[in-house]
Amino acid sequence: MDIKNERLLKLSRTFKEGFHNFRRNGLLSVATVSVLGVSLYVMSATILIGVVANSVLGNIRDNIEISVYFNPTVPEERILEIKGKLEGYREIKSVGYVSKEQALDEFKKLSADDSAITQALEEVGENPLLSSLSVKAHDPAQYELISSSLRDSSYASDISRINYDRNKERIERLSTIVGLIEQVGLTLGIVFVVIGVLITFNAIRLTMYAHKGEFEVMRLVGASNLYIRMPFVFEGIFYGTVSAVVVFLMLLGTARFAAPLTQGALAEGNMFDFYLNNFFLILGALLFSGILLGVVSSFIAIKRYLKV
Amino acid sequence: MIRFENVTKTYPGEYVALDHVELLIERGEFVSIVGHSGAGKSTLLKMIYAEEHPTEGVVYFNDRDLASIKRRLLPFYRRNIGTVFQDFKLLPQKTVFENVAYALEVAGESNAEIMERVPEILEIVGMLSKADSYPRQLSGGEQQKVCMARALVHNPLVIVADEPTGNLDPVSTWEIVQLLLKINSLGTTILLATHNKGIVDKLNRRVIALERGKIVHDQQKGKYII
Repeated sequence: MDIKNERLLKLSRTFKEGFHNFRRNGLLSVATVSVLGVSLYVMSATILIGVVANSVLGNIRDNIEISVYFNPTVPEERILEIKGKLEGYREIKSVGYVSKEQALDEFKKLSADDSAITQALEEVGENPLLSSLSVKAHDPAQYELISSSLRDSSYASDISRINYDRNKERIERLSTIVGLIEQVGLTLGIVFVVIGVLITFNAIRLTMYAHKGEFEVMRLVGASNLYIRMPFVFEGIFYGTVSAVVVFLMLLGTARFAAPLTQGALAEGNMFDFYLNNFFLILGALLFSGILLGVVSSFIAIKRYLKV
Repeated sequence: MIRFENVTKTYPGEYVALDHVELLIERGEFVSIVGHSGAGKSTLLKMIYAEEHPTEGVVYFNDRDLASIKRRLLPFYRRNIGTVFQDFKLLPQKTVFENVAYALEVAGESNAEIMERVPEILEIVGMLSKADSYPRQLSGGEQQKVCMARALVHNPLVIVADEPTGNLDPVSTWEIVQLLLKINSLGTTILLATHNKGIVDKLNRRVIALERGKIVHDQQKGKYII
């Protein structure tokens, strides 16, 4: 029999041995899988929330524009002339013109259900709204500059108001919240990962303790160190794999539950669609991190307690 | 085949387990090692399967200095030696068959080889009918027979038996000794450490007596004298 075959044979034997350990440990295995699962769950939930929050933030950023409202006395030609000038600036992506009639139609459409407003509009008789230009910048950071240069420009006297400040506050608050979520989640995730590693390490250490007397026997009948150790590495892999699959299903449930809340916030529609679209990526990432956690824990336990 | 050259073993605390031991064991011999508890019998045997190394002196196995074997390669060396102990040292979670098979599995023997060899060897020690039992379901004598099977399954050059009958009743004791004799008659060298005067006297083979780490008697066809 050649060496490669022998290695494969030994690998499959230690794999089975590890699987037997995993199964025989019963409650200990359940506890280990649970804690490892919680760590993975907190981590991945954090990442998912981060993805959603970032996507929402991105959507909002894309939709940011500043509206420049002109005094009612300014004729349309003048506004279009200003629009042309603005379009010449490097920082500005696009400029849209909204006439007061369009603004009124829009407003009526939005408040069609509110009889008080419709009534009030009829009462006023004439169009109370202003014509405006909506300016989009390439970079949200440019709005400050655009806003202030408009205020200092030659046509400042034509401008009634610029609504930049209100948006600015909203954007900043949202950024802070997203940042906070990411920080808290990441910290919690790391804490749970450390706990997960410790518990897995402990579970494997306990198995080793249960097998303590056997290592000597294994050595005496000619088992190499690697052959004695491999089952514990596989045991760690089993812990990791099972936790990853459990967490995958739990996240699926969570995403389903969160789907209505996130409807429209993501490019994919909602969180559940996002989850399904990235099915294999998420499963792969979970399996990878689960197995990594399990194996790292095993190695620590082997290094500390399996002096063979 | 096995040669001790001026071997001294000191354990921490200045406890001298072996004191300048000179010893030569030839292939095919049946050697009983006798002596009180703490006389150094186990230490002497452990040096043969390289579980302990001398503080001074050299132990040779087929002209190879055992202390020079790299740790990584020890498992391969140990496959030359079958070990049997007073406390059996069977793996409790494995059946009789699996216990014996384990010794072949770790050496990377094929499944076909294992399926052929294990029943064969269980038949020799008379334990084939209990192949699917777990160690806890067996009597002491039966467990020791399984250990013998496990020690034999590699076709080792030497069997090292450290008080194999220490926990057994007289009938089982005699069965184990018969088995050792049978194995020896097939050419395997046997080293038997024992307290049992009856066995040693009946065997009428080479006897080495240890006292406080020194060899005090070494006789062919010896008796138990201490």
